[in-house]
Amino acid sequence: MTPFIRNMLVIARRDFLAIVATPTFLLFLLAPLFMIGMGAVGGVGASQLADSARGKGRIVAIAGPADVEALRAADSRLRDALGRERPPVLEVRLAGADAADPLAIAREKGSDTYAVLSGPLENPRIVEREAGSGAGRYLALLASDVLRDRAAGPVAPAKPAFEAITNGGTSIAAQQSMGFGAVFVIFLMTLLLAGQTVSSLAEEKGNKVIEILAAAVPLESVFLGKLLGMLGVAILFIAFWGLVAIGGGMAFAMQADPATIAAAGKPAAALMVAPASGWPFFIGVGVCYFVMAFLLLGAVFLGVGAQASTVREIQMLSLPITIFQVGMFSLSTAAASAPGTGLAQFAQIFPFSSPFAMAARAATDDAKAVHLLALGWQALWVALIIYLSVRLFRAGVLSGGGGWKFWKRARPATAASTVSESTSAH
Amino acid sequence: MTDLSVEATSLTKYFDAFTAVDHVTLKVPTGSIYGVLGPNGAGKTTSLRMTLGIIDPDEGSSRLLGGHKPQSVRHRIGYLPEERGLYPGMKAREAIAFMGALRGLDWSEGRRRAATFMTELGLERVIDEKIRKMSKGMAQMVQLIGSIVHTPDLIVLDEPFSGLDPVNQERLEMLVRRERERGATILFSTHVMAHAERLCDRLAIIARSQRRFEGTVDEARALLPMQVRYTPRDGGDAVAALLPAGAERKGEAWHFAIEEADVEPLLARITASGHGVAGLSIARPALHDAFVHIVRQVDAGFDATPEADAIEEAAA
Repeated sequence: MTPFIRNMLVIARRDFLAIVATPTFLLFLLAPLFMIGMGAVGGVGASQLADSARGKGRIVAIAGPADVEALRAADSRLRDALGRERPPVLEVRLAGADAADPLAIAREKGSDTYAVLSGPLENPRIVEREAGSGAGRYLALLASDVLRDRAAGPVAPAKPAFEAITNGGTSIAAQQSMGFGAVFVIFLMTLLLAGQTVSSLAEEKGNKVIEILAAAVPLESVFLGKLLGMLGVAILFIAFWGLVAIGGGMAFAMQADPATIAAAGKPAAALMVAPASGWPFFIGVGVCYFVMAFLLLGAVFLGVGAQASTVREIQMLSLPITIFQVGMFSLSTAAASAPGTGLAQFAQIFPFSSPFAMAARAATDDAKAVHLLALGWQALWVALIIYLSVRLFRAGVLSGGGGWKFWKRARPATAASTVSESTSAH
Repeated sequence: MTDLSVEATSLTKYFDAFTAVDHVTLKVPTGSIYGVLGPNGAGKTTSLRMTLGIIDPDEGSSRLLGGHKPQSVRHRIGYLPEERGLYPGMKAREAIAFMGALRGLDWSEGRRRAATFMTELGLERVIDEKIRKMSKGMAQMVQLIGSIVHTPDLIVLDEPFSGLDPVNQERLEMLVRRERERGATILFSTHVMAHAERLCDRLAIIARSQRRFEGTVDEARALLPMQVRYTPRDGGDAVAALLPAGAERKGEAWHFAIEEADVEPLLARITASGHGVAGLSIARPALHDAFVHIVRQVDAGFDATPEADAIEEAAA
């Protein structure tokens, strides 16, 4: 192990233990509970909003003139029977001379179309937004009800051919959603954790330990050690909540009845939807990008915070830091929603948005080598930021300069040097 | 040629318009105890910081332990800064081990040595005490131990005695001597002359940002003439003709200064004259006197320069 790395680990160990072995850390660790509580409150509100917005969606039936009224009547009957679990509003369109394209209708802008029925009611074609959706099943039920209403005796139910909007593999929309999810998760974790680095040198400056560190080890290893220490805290935080989530899930599975477990299997089926680069690679590279995002943003905040000379200045820095993070998040989400565009490429290259945007890219693009290149590029920027931060710190703070006035060149005085040496025995 | 552990040449540092250190040169022989003396604000701390490479000089250079750059021999140096600094939440043993680890010492070995040092210095009861619960003096001793726990070849102590009670000052002196016996070179700054007088093999006096003296303690004291107090047996004024110009009578005794070389001829003249000797003391001036003399001389010279006003204005 080189002295530089050894020194860095000594600093990281000290910082890690100094943070973790305090009662305050418990508060920090449990802080997400407050967030979950707030989220639950917000969730109730969002649910109510979603309920009120549900009416804006629709299902569409394309029917011949003979079936239009029958469909409406059946919809009325069934809708009353379903009570609160009503499907979206039914829009019945008259089939024209030109066959209407149900896919085009499903993609029409202006409203959310959950399913479109077309063709004869005995063998309808049902195009769904999501495979196996309730809306599609409702349209099938509607067709069967019309057939049953017309028939004198027993009648076979309609035999629909279901069809999702996308066929074969995961839809681009789903992959983009995954990309957005990756950006959001990395952003949330860095927002919660990387911002802490801004004040991590305040302790050393406050209790004068910085001079001992500066005399004993390269400042670069002090800065990197502090970043690593904070990263260790962040990983501990994430590991704790990850284990809580896994443990909670297992406890739930053991206590729930089989029907509940079967229901829980539905979300698991969502995992069949895969990012373009595959789940293992996507998760692995996502972790790498979280680390790089933490190091990149943390290095900037550490460098800026090191220049601050008072707690008040550090407090004042929290707002621009948060805005900066949100800015990178916005840039990256915009890039995630428009893969392959110039904006996406810019976000992937711009060092501070690069980890977010590249994580999003891993969801929509199966190219893998480019991620190695991106990680190298980001690591280069971490090194560059640390180097510059140390230079500024040495020039401005450690040399007794005026903190932010690092750019001012010292001007030699003339008077002091005019007093000649008075005495020297040697 | 003497083997040098510190060879700092023409170190200069400007803080805006103020010249904090002006072409100061320090050459510390290996295995010696070297003092840097000076009044407050003379530039001692800045000189030491530049010597150790903590801050970069605007001019000049520093080579340590055989011509190495300070950064390349950090692990062989122990440093106690003027502004004491320890993590308040750390226990003494851990703080010492941490400081040793920074210089490459294994943590467990650092803890073991910490216990040994603290026991030797009578601090065993606070080995596992947190720094925040210690007195300032105790914390200072902990930091001092932390700066030598890795058995450095060069130990730099910036105002090590300030803040210590007499007992701990004595312990510190003992520690400094012991480190020198081990083979370490000690460079320390102070403005308390008594410590320098007792400890230093050589010293430099810095005043108004410049080095004004460099040499041994005796050489510093030799800058001033011997102080003589002579009481003739006959009590008359006639003896004045034998004494140097400026001799002053206070009661029965005559007080005057005299160069060392003139002492014996004077004694011969007094003996031959028959005035007799009722009382006689010949004292070499203390380092304190030499220091005050040098600093006042520099201040007088500085105040007389027209540039002094410009500096005052710039500083204001």
